[in-house]
Amino acid sequence: MHFRLKKHILERLDPFSIVADELSLIATRLRSMVAAEVPNLASAAEYFFKIGAEGKRFRPTVLLLMATALNVHIPELPPAGVGDTLSSDLRTRQQRIAEITEMIHVASLLHDDVLDDADTRRGVGSLNAVMGNKLAVLAGDFLLSRACLTLASLKNTEVVTLIATVVENLVTGETMQLTTASTQRFSMEHYMQKTYSKTASLMSNSCKSVAILAGHTAGDAKLAFEYGKNLGLAFQLIDDVLDFTGTSASLGKGSLTDIRHGIITAPILFAMEEFLQLRAVDKGFDNPANLDTALEYLGKSRGIERTKELAMKHANQAAAAIDSLPQSDDEDVIKSRLALVDLTQRVITRSK
Amino acid sequence: MARAALLHLLRHRTAAVAAEPLPAFRCLMSSGYSRTPAAGIKWAGFCRHFRFSSRAAVNDVIGNDLANTDSSLAFMEGKERLDPFSIVADELSLIATRLRSMVAAEVPNLASAAEYFFKIGAEGKRFRPTVLLLMATALNVRIPELPPAGVGDNLPTDLRTRQQRIAEITEMIHVASLLHDDVLDDADTRRGVGSLNAVMGNKLAVLAGDFLLSRACLTLASLKNTEVVTLIATVVENLVTGETMQLTTASTKRFSMEYYMQKTYNKTASLMSNSCKSVAILAGHSAEVAKLAFEYGKNLGLAFQLIDDVLDFTGTSASLGKGSLSDIRHGIITAPILFAMEEFPQLRAVVDKGFDNPANVDIALEYLGKSRGIERTKELAMKHANQAAAAIDSLPQSDDEDVMKSRLALVDLTQRVITRNK
Repeated sequence: MHFRLKKHILERLDPFSIVADELSLIATRLRSMVAAEVPNLASAAEYFFKIGAEGKRFRPTVLLLMATALNVHIPELPPAGVGDTLSSDLRTRQQRIAEITEMIHVASLLHDDVLDDADTRRGVGSLNAVMGNKLAVLAGDFLLSRACLTLASLKNTEVVTLIATVVENLVTGETMQLTTASTQRFSMEHYMQKTYSKTASLMSNSCKSVAILAGHTAGDAKLAFEYGKNLGLAFQLIDDVLDFTGTSASLGKGSLTDIRHGIITAPILFAMEEFLQLRAVDKGFDNPANLDTALEYLGKSRGIERTKELAMKHANQAAAAIDSLPQSDDEDVIKSRLALVDLTQRVITRSK
Repeated sequence: MARAALLHLLRHRTAAVAAEPLPAFRCLMSSGYSRTPAAGIKWAGFCRHFRFSSRAAVNDVIGNDLANTDSSLAFMEGKERLDPFSIVADELSLIATRLRSMVAAEVPNLASAAEYFFKIGAEGKRFRPTVLLLMATALNVRIPELPPAGVGDNLPTDLRTRQQRIAEITEMIHVASLLHDDVLDDADTRRGVGSLNAVMGNKLAVLAGDFLLSRACLTLASLKNTEVVTLIATVVENLVTGETMQLTTASTKRFSMEYYMQKTYNKTASLMSNSCKSVAILAGHSAEVAKLAFEYGKNLGLAFQLIDDVLDFTGTSASLGKGSLSDIRHGIITAPILFAMEEFPQLRAVVDKGFDNPANVDIALEYLGKSRGIERTKELAMKHANQAAAAIDSLPQSDDEDVMKSRLALVDLTQRVITRNK
């Protein structure tokens, strides 16, 4: 594609706005899909799907962009007020992947908050804090069952397998986090495996599902998978950094939630490689003095820098996967692909 | 002819029949069945596997021919009841081993949760898997549109394995729901003996339940049948809905028999109905046959729960108040009380007061004793048990010995469910 046109598009690119209308559609459908018959369950299930509590909608954005990037035309959306049927059946099915992904994601959040005794989530009270542990657990199960029903309606057993794998990975990741043996606590490999399970698997397998629904080859489906996986990993690594730095570049200004909960993330793991004595401080991080010691070591080390470098490596791998997709001259396809690449940059340059 | 006798047998079973000679013999003999040597041998062979509980009047009933053959004599002398569990015992072991190794190998860190799982599993008397395995055999009928099974095989191996997977999935979901139902809220954990243990126990319960659900999902996916995925997903939704209905204390609903039956379907019968149906669907059966399997599971489940309700009041004796009374003490209003409330509206006021006070429990029991609550619940259970048996009766005919045996076992289970006293 002509360099100047590409640059022109890049300058005005907002990945989220490209898919804004579809996102609204999906949000509306999600609210109706999680409606339950029993009042308590209904309130619990729709808690995070209410307007204002839906989160950044990052995942559905990626999936919708991926659907277009994989050479499917964005259908003519009807004007506001008209019924929400879409002309493209494939597109609807791909949107379902976005819906399924969100339901599974929220279900895992609900359970994680119970496991972590969390008080808040997305700026509001966590469901377990507001309605109790048991209802939060039941609501998570309910969302999972609704996701499975939607999954079955796609009548594609390969996609069913991929999403079932995600569910298993989420549980494995959470188990890894809660039950890490001491030898594994300091292992970068263990940490990356856990991060893949908890964060990247959902993205990788749902991207791949979008490709499979479109009938793509195994090769292209794998590229979609690689994009999702690397994007997810990059995202989490920067999340780790931000937990220490916050919106400033300086250390200790972040919320420090991870370390206070005894969760050892990439920056600390890298620092431990340089300063073995940091390992001795482990497990005492709820003690502020220990926390300060750890931050001191972290500051002296290249922990933050190396984490950022690793994040950038994964972001570039994600961009490379998009670049390897089969060529297309279609403007929408090109635009979506540029947006997907742009997202890989936003993920690593963001400050919150 | 054997088929007609069997159908006659099934149609006329009542609750009391377990202790009486089966009318089928009378029917058999009067129709002159025994005079046909070939048929007689076939029937005798069939009977060799069965021993019914009574031999009263047997020699009066059967003609000399049958009474004098060795096999039939052994059969007639048999004192043992048909044991549905032993028919599928080997397969049950296989399934139990697979479940156990899967949990132990992959979740070493959740050892205590895994142990809890085994404990629960052991309590369950393998009831659900037994039903499903028997159903799989009972449905092993030649379906016209499908190619015939291999000569000498009862079932193609991979179909049977897939049906066994339904049994595994069902158990995993059942235990997962028990674990999640046990999750306590903060108020409850603080009441526990060791609050730390209660809290950790909570986390393990959530995690172990999630683990089982995720394994169930993967196993489900491996079956590559999206209709079955839909059915099992519906079960999970129903379980959650049922548990939430139970937590709901809106008083108007608590007094409604309809609400109670809906909750009971969700919490107990849905798992049975949909897994039975899944077994039929995997075998490629028509919608009608699949529905019969569904109806069997549903009615069996409902009958089971209704008798459970009764036993909670009566225990192993027939008298009231000797049961554990755990439902009523937890404020869970079950069928006997609901029926009693229809006769004695003043019982509602007692129920409204709650049952923390033991004196209130006594008052409720008094009303219950005066009412026909227990009897009506038993009658309802019997109605459902008979509906379950009728569903088996309506299955497509088969002369296959194993098929007939499994169907009789399934019918026998409907009787066991309502005559059991624990």
